[in-house]
Amino acid sequence: MTNRLRVLRAERNWSQQDLAERLGVSRQSVNAIETGKYDPSLPLAFRIARLFDLPIEGVFSAD
Amino acid sequence: MRPRHPAFRAYLRRLALATALYLVAIFAAVRLLHGQAVPAAPSVAGVVIALLPGIAVLLMLLAIGRLWVELDDEFLRLLEIRKALVATGLTLAVTSVWGLLEMLVWVPRLEVFWVFPLWCAGLAVGQVFNRLTLGTGGCP
Repeated sequence: MTNRLRVLRAERNWSQQDLAERLGVSRQSVNAIETGKYDPSLPLAFRIARLFDLPIEGVFSAD
Repeated sequence: MRPRHPAFRAYLRRLALATALYLVAIFAAVRLLHGQAVPAAPSVAGVVIALLPGIAVLLMLLAIGRLWVELDDEFLRLLEIRKALVATGLTLAVTSVWGLLEMLVWVPRLEVFWVFPLWCAGLAVGQVFNRLTLGTGGCP
């Protein structure tokens, strides 16, 4: 699975820590998701999509 | 470094208390009981003294279990579970192979006492494994 988290975060000038605080997770979690080392659970993926006001496919894709 | 997540801080506090109890209990038990001739009917006091280090070990395991329950960050929880899986796998591997060697050829007898320290060493190996594969180790 790939994601656009780094791009979406950069568009808003948020640091990983900023995004982590908005999501209520650790900075390590954000880093692991951005680098593709960890695929989030469905509830966390929905929280991320909602934060960026996008559908879940707007953040994550299956390829 | 002080961990950020409150669950880690609570875990380290509980672990420190259990470790302190363990050190005191094992020191007392070894001084009072070890090397003595095993009596036919052990006294109640002897059994209690011998059980105290074990209770401290149970408190350490309880601290680990509570960390897993209290960690609300799914990625950090994954790191901790992976550490425990690596530790359990290593412990099973070492004790199973050693047990067969004890049974079939002559090797020094491994006291069951060493299983828990071995598992704790496995947690450190799990931390290295996490760092190599996921970029971060988990709680120190």
